[in-house]
Amino acid sequence: MNITTRKRALALAAFGAASALVLAGCAEAPEETTGSGDGADNSDFVACMVSDFGGFEDGSFNESAYAGLLQAEDELGVTIRETESTSEDEYVPNVNALVGEDCGIIIGVGFALANAVRDSARENEDVNYAIIDSALSEDDFTPLALDNVKPVLYDTAQAAFLAGYLAAGVSETGVVGTFGGNPFPSVTIFMEGYAQGVEAYNEAKGTDVQVLGTDSFVGNFEDIAAGQTLSEQLIAQGADVIMPVAGPVGQGTGIAALASDDVRVIGVDTDWYANPTHDEYKSLLLTSVEKSLQLTVFETIEAALAGEFDATTYVGTLENEGVTISDFHDQASAVSDELAAELDELRAQIESGDLVITTEGTPSA
Amino acid sequence: MIRAYRTPIVLGVIALIVIVLFGVIGSEGDSTFRISTSGDFFTVPDFVLPSRGTALVLGIVLLAIAAASALLVRRGGRVRAWVLAVFGVLAVFATLSWAIAGGTLPMTQLLQGSLALAVPLVFGALGGVLSERVGVVNIAIEGQLLAGAFSSAVVASLTGNLYAGLLAAAVAGALVSLVLAVFAITYIVDQVIVGVVLNVLVVGLTSFLHSAVLDSASNSPGRLPQIEIPLLAQIPLLGPLLFEQTLIIYLMFIAVAIVTFALFRTRWGLRLRAVGEHPQAADTVGINVARTRFMGVTLGGALAGLGGAFFTLGSVGAFSQEMTAGQGYIALAALIFGRWNPILATLAALLFGFARNLASVLGIVGSPVPSQFLLMLPYVVTLIAVAGLAGKVRGPAAAGTPYIKG
Repeated sequence: MNITTRKRALALAAFGAASALVLAGCAEAPEETTGSGDGADNSDFVACMVSDFGGFEDGSFNESAYAGLLQAEDELGVTIRETESTSEDEYVPNVNALVGEDCGIIIGVGFALANAVRDSARENEDVNYAIIDSALSEDDFTPLALDNVKPVLYDTAQAAFLAGYLAAGVSETGVVGTFGGNPFPSVTIFMEGYAQGVEAYNEAKGTDVQVLGTDSFVGNFEDIAAGQTLSEQLIAQGADVIMPVAGPVGQGTGIAALASDDVRVIGVDTDWYANPTHDEYKSLLLTSVEKSLQLTVFETIEAALAGEFDATTYVGTLENEGVTISDFHDQASAVSDELAAELDELRAQIESGDLVITTEGTPSA
Repeated sequence: MIRAYRTPIVLGVIALIVIVLFGVIGSEGDSTFRISTSGDFFTVPDFVLPSRGTALVLGIVLLAIAAASALLVRRGGRVRAWVLAVFGVLAVFATLSWAIAGGTLPMTQLLQGSLALAVPLVFGALGGVLSERVGVVNIAIEGQLLAGAFSSAVVASLTGNLYAGLLAAAVAGALVSLVLAVFAITYIVDQVIVGVVLNVLVVGLTSFLHSAVLDSASNSPGRLPQIEIPLLAQIPLLGPLLFEQTLIIYLMFIAVAIVTFALFRTRWGLRLRAVGEHPQAADTVGINVARTRFMGVTLGGALAGLGGAFFTLGSVGAFSQEMTAGQGYIALAALIFGRWNPILATLAALLFGFARNLASVLGIVGSPVPSQFLLMLPYVVTLIAVAGLAGKVRGPAAAGTPYIKG
């Protein structure tokens, strides 16, 4: 074997081995598992799910959606298949890989998957889809509705509003902070609602609590160290309550808060207090702005299983418990009874429609 | 002809932007720069400067520097690096005074954050310097950082010893680069391809192990404590920056010094560079080219791996998928921008860190710049630095070319 062919063969072998490992590692072939729980046997119904690049163990919304899928496996006895994306170029192949798997429903998790789901849904009109946390739109952003895609949206601003009001009430420095991963609509809606909550507090109490960072973004949902640095800057500017809207990057905020005095953190997507990922600083968690992805995913699968799939948009609100803020846990002593009562009052007003929170990204059913 | 004037022209344009945008249009109000922190030895009062006036004065100074360098070029001279450095600092200061008008900027935290963001870049760039100086192109810095981050977290968790984690990070980085070395040197495979494949391989492998194998017991290493050097740590501004850091950052300072000294002041370094510049000549005088290359690449990998430990042991305290988020590629850019010189590469890495942190700080204090532009800032700085100011850079002559004896 001369040098050139040997070189080429080796390069090929290396590339082959690497791709095989990568494929095995991340864009893994759909796993097949059948329900082992006490539910009925519906194993011919296949519920499928694709994560975004955060993966199913992001301690955040992918994980929460996946919990809904597992719950469906357990309680409804359906077969589940999932593919985990690790980068953005895997969305289209991952969604398409599931099309061939006879899925009763394919659930795309996250804003980032919207276009992959849209294109796949157009080509496969007999397959039902749901897209979590995003509406559908054309490439030029004209809104779009397809008969076989159910958009699942959360009016997170309602819950974030309460969190903002709470943050302003708890803050001792008169400065609270937030930041995002990327300026996605599903991210900025948290930040806007939060800022409006602070504003509402200022109006009610005649205070002047500032919100910093409503225009700050890390630029990704991975670099936790950068999230830590950004949070340190917020703390240096006086912020003593911070809500990071950046998936795992929010862990950086927890770490920064640990190193400072009297800084509290507001979790997002799930109740961080209950998640081991956030154990180290859970005593500093003031509350979490929750989206009940697990519940919604479960219900969506349940409906599809019963043959009741419809393409109407679901909007999670405080009223239907699609969004909420969690308990104050260890920080309960920091929240005065008066403040807690005001929050309950505001919650009731939002639920009844007397108080309407409008942001740029507020979803409409 | 016009090419010779490139640097003065770039400087002039920047000066004019500062004068018009920040000075004439500008923003009202005072800009406050806070130097001291609570733990300091003595307190330096805050600097309060009128935003528009400061920008105007600085802009005129910048224009003068640009004019002076144009004159210099006309007389056939070259604009020195320190002039560019002074120009850069003044321009950044003018931008800051514009952006934070009406607000306060804590300088200590700004610089601390910049240093933190630069740490993996510095280690990565140093690793790249060693590897490329010996003649092997190292695209795999990203993979080495990630492997270092992963193994340091796992080993430190399992042994309960953070220093074992640091060691493991270096070993993991070295192993990744050893693969690069075997393919690039022994089997003469295209170095760029091997590097890219290694990056993808490490991402896949660590992500797979993270989701399939790791649990909270094997991924909770904790964090390195801050080591405060008495007295020195209380100097305003510099104290918290240089003398109140974790072991990794002290190691970084030491590594920069050692690599620079070894590369340019020892026989070992001379041989290493000879192999990277002209392997045939080196071979002729009896230097074992393959062995030297193996050593350079592996040492470089160990350094980059150590940088990876910063993500876990130095900062986050646990491994998460793809947590290096492309920093290895930025380290590669720092290495080229730093002209394959350890000190310049370190400065370039610090500049990237600063630009990135500045972007977040400006977002927080609420500057007039839209957030999407702020996210672009580090990369715009890179482009201006590389295209406008660095001039023609020449890497080691034999980097990327395999040496076939005979």
